[in-house]
Amino acid sequence: MSTDRPTALIADDEEPMRQLLRSRLHEVWPQLDIIAEAANGIEAIALTGLHQPDIVFLDIRMPGLSGIEAARMLFNRCHIVFVTAYDQYAIEAFEQGALDYLLKPAGGERLKMTCARLQERLGKSPANIERQLAQLLQGVSGASRGSASAKPREYLRWIQAMVGNSLRMISTKEVLFFRADEKYTRVQTLQGEVLIRKTLKELEDELDPDEFWRIHRSTLVRVDAIGEVRRDLRGRQMVRVRNFDEELEVSRGNAHLFQQM
Amino acid sequence: MAFARTKQGTRSALAFVREIGETARTLWWKFFDWLAMVEWRELVVIDILVLVTMGMLDAGEAGGWFVFLSFCLKILAGGKRRAEVEAKEATEHAGTESLERRLAEAQLAALQAQVEPHFLFNTLALIGQLIETDQRQAAKVHAHLIDYLRATMPQMRSRSNNTLGRQVEMSRAYLAIMQARMKERLAVYIDVAPELLSASFPPMMLQTLIENAIKHGLEPKIEGGRIDIRATTSNGPGGDILDVEVHDDGIGFDVHAGEGVGLANIRERLRLLHGNRAQLIIETPHDGGARVIIRLPFTPDIFAGSKL
Repeated sequence: MSTDRPTALIADDEEPMRQLLRSRLHEVWPQLDIIAEAANGIEAIALTGLHQPDIVFLDIRMPGLSGIEAARMLFNRCHIVFVTAYDQYAIEAFEQGALDYLLKPAGGERLKMTCARLQERLGKSPANIERQLAQLLQGVSGASRGSASAKPREYLRWIQAMVGNSLRMISTKEVLFFRADEKYTRVQTLQGEVLIRKTLKELEDELDPDEFWRIHRSTLVRVDAIGEVRRDLRGRQMVRVRNFDEELEVSRGNAHLFQQM
Repeated sequence: MAFARTKQGTRSALAFVREIGETARTLWWKFFDWLAMVEWRELVVIDILVLVTMGMLDAGEAGGWFVFLSFCLKILAGGKRRAEVEAKEATEHAGTESLERRLAEAQLAALQAQVEPHFLFNTLALIGQLIETDQRQAAKVHAHLIDYLRATMPQMRSRSNNTLGRQVEMSRAYLAIMQARMKERLAVYIDVAPELLSASFPPMMLQTLIENAIKHGLEPKIEGGRIDIRATTSNGPGGDILDVEVHDDGIGFDVHAGEGVGLANIRERLRLLHGNRAQLIIETPHDGGARVIIRLPFTPDIFAGSKL
């Protein structure tokens, strides 16, 4: 804790926004000394370690680490105020969790109120907001892309395939079915087919089991692409794929998938 | 043991008989449907062929019966059955039609929500800041925002929007705003030949690709990066092809993140507009980032634009 002037750090990836907050803070709280500015979450943590500010203003959407992720690592070292332009979910969560936050462009009465609150708390140790932050992290999507936080199981949503010289990305929503084809696996879409090296077993393990069904030793079909299931003259169940004229055989072991049809 | 085996044998024999029955029934209905739908002229020709073949096989009488029966059936039941089959086809057709209409409606709804509030609020905050520090720049950003909104808001869109030129123009406005915000973290290169500007191109597709590149590729990357927009034409098997490409060197693809509404929407609209002649191609370049290409038939006519 500094003995003379209180200190603060501003973290925002957009420079004009840092300038804006800096000049507004200067108007309502001239004693506050802004000792550093950070352009991303990682910088915010490094500069906080270096300068030990009393207060950190954190933008939520930042590259590297989001404001909420950064706050998780900083909350017991300084007072934290979140800054956001628009994020309905986060705002609701802030109100429920009694966290300090500002809406961009910050200024006027609202900023004065926040500053008054901060002045009051300056001598005390920062509030423990760990639990609220953990909840926020689970809820705010988009703000924390690329984070390593524990999430429910993630399924494969894009298939990578070499087409000519380039690596194509095929959304699983586009795939009609996968078929084992000797050493390769055939990926069939409405646009055509490509071969990939991944085996059907590997695909089955990585794909969402509600999105793709294994109907045969050599076939994985997207459930949404199934047009109808019928029996052929030999009594085998055949899956007809929507908008596509190839029928896929259902092996006896997997007939239970279509029992009620 | 012997008893059990007999029982099993009986069961499989029964199943066999049932299967034959079912097969015969299916075949009969197939034959009946065919008979109902076939043209009289064709039926006469086929019946003559049957007569000749049967005659050669020394079974002229059976052939005669076949011809007689097929004529009777066609006269007596053909009309009704034909109506049934046609009614069924019509219902199916109506099903697809209503599906297509629903899809078009869903697209419009999705398009109306395309101006991202986050973008709007951030830009307004920027203008507020610039008014104090740099009024000339504030006026520029303000003008870009107006250009962008005019092209983005569905109620403001006009038919003349559906050219590649208009789409590139509005994207320039958007990118200029993003550059004012991201500063040196965003570099933009646009390479579209003047003769391609009048090509017809559906609205909001290029914009969606650019917004994706910034939001998912460049904004999350600490040092930022560049975005390349390029249009090229080539000769394809079914006529000239226009490729519009958006390439960024951002953080690239997360194979576990589901395809967003934006891309799915583009794919669906391309399919409705051009069927299999249009394509949305997504690639991961060797040096990272993402490249997305919209490939569609090249129509230079300004008035060839479509409503979707």
